[in-house]
Amino acid sequence: MAVVRKNILTDATARDDYVRGVGLLKREPSGHTTAELGIPGPTNPVSTYDLFVVWHIRAMMKPVPPSGDHRVRNAAHRGPIFLPWHRVMLAALEANLQRVLQKPQFALPYWDWAADGELGAPAGAKIWKDTYMGGQGDPVADGPFRYDPADPDTFTIRLRSDSNGKILQTERGLRRIFGQGPPIGSPTMPTSTEQKEALAFDPGTADPVDRYDSSPFHVSSEGFRSRLEGFAPRNNKPHLHNQVHMWVGGDMGPAHSPNDPVFFLHHCNVDRIWEGWMDRYGRLYAPDMSFPAAVYEGHRIDDPIVSPLGPSATPRKVMDMSTLYVYDVKP
Amino acid sequence: MDRAIEPTELTAAAAPERLGEYLAGLAPPHTHHDHGPAKTVRTTEFEGHRIVVTTTYEVTVDGKPLNVQLHVDDDGTLSCHGLPSYQFASALDSIRALIANFPEDFEGGE
Repeated sequence: MAVVRKNILTDATARDDYVRGVGLLKREPSGHTTAELGIPGPTNPVSTYDLFVVWHIRAMMKPVPPSGDHRVRNAAHRGPIFLPWHRVMLAALEANLQRVLQKPQFALPYWDWAADGELGAPAGAKIWKDTYMGGQGDPVADGPFRYDPADPDTFTIRLRSDSNGKILQTERGLRRIFGQGPPIGSPTMPTSTEQKEALAFDPGTADPVDRYDSSPFHVSSEGFRSRLEGFAPRNNKPHLHNQVHMWVGGDMGPAHSPNDPVFFLHHCNVDRIWEGWMDRYGRLYAPDMSFPAAVYEGHRIDDPIVSPLGPSATPRKVMDMSTLYVYDVKP
Repeated sequence: MDRAIEPTELTAAAAPERLGEYLAGLAPPHTHHDHGPAKTVRTTEFEGHRIVVTTTYEVTVDGKPLNVQLHVDDDGTLSCHGLPSYQFASALDSIRALIANFPEDFEGGE
């Protein structure tokens, strides 16, 4: 039976379950250590939650195809695989939350950030209240993920990436610094109008899949994927997904952004927008397998997504997730 | 549409033991970008001519070399791998953003 993902602002049960579940996963030893995961420094246990931080960083550092350049396209970003990869990551976190909560009907909630973008002052939005995700700070000092060094169970950042994506150990509280100006962050959030424009984008070509993405299938591409990821249109400003990371700032900026639990609410909304796009135009994806592996492997429709599911998870196989979850409302 | 992911399949793959094993095997690549200034090579064809533009940034902060993976996209926009959501019109801006976003790596200053 599929679970129903709902807006965190309208479902207090999902909110409370999410906060409790994140806390449980942060405290649950995964059975793996930093040494086993190739993370330098002293050998320490790695929590189940922190495995998702490692996964995100490692996927970013993985060039696809193997002979490619991860700065051009990697296994999770800067290309068509952006939406399928994050879809699998969210589903894996949701499965772990259902397990630790002992609640198979738990569904990951989403944060409808475009609604907050319509506000004049999104820093005052409900999502950042003490009873939701807490506010900004270095470290964050209110809400469920505040840092209190005297509390052994306090929410602690233990793994981070450096400026080149190398994983390092640390021990500190969560950072958020809202609305910084360029080049450090973004002073504004995406609006509903910008979201509608991305959904409506028409490349004006004959092939329907061009709406999703088109050659050269990277940040310079036109298409819905590049617009939702936030690289297009190319006008020296961030858009949609990228803009949200940059507006929240702090730990949402670097490759270790899953350290902030708001990451998953943000990406759940990105996934919801993708689902809304597929409602409009069909379950379309590009590139197909006719594109050469030497350039596009890892981003094509039947290539395995970089995940523990191996060949069971490809873009084609994750386009319809209705056996696992649906959304209450789609844009 | 091909068969979708089965819930049992997802649950098994997402289990911490299996996810951790998978990540342990997802060794970070050791590439030529790891050491020394990062290089970007852009190529195109124009009116029968082959164009190759190679860009290398050598950056120091407080006199110390900064090994940073700056990349120039085809349209000249800069990106920095450590900040995956960011794009820059200026290399100086990219380093300003790195200093602000990685305070542990740039101690001192104001």
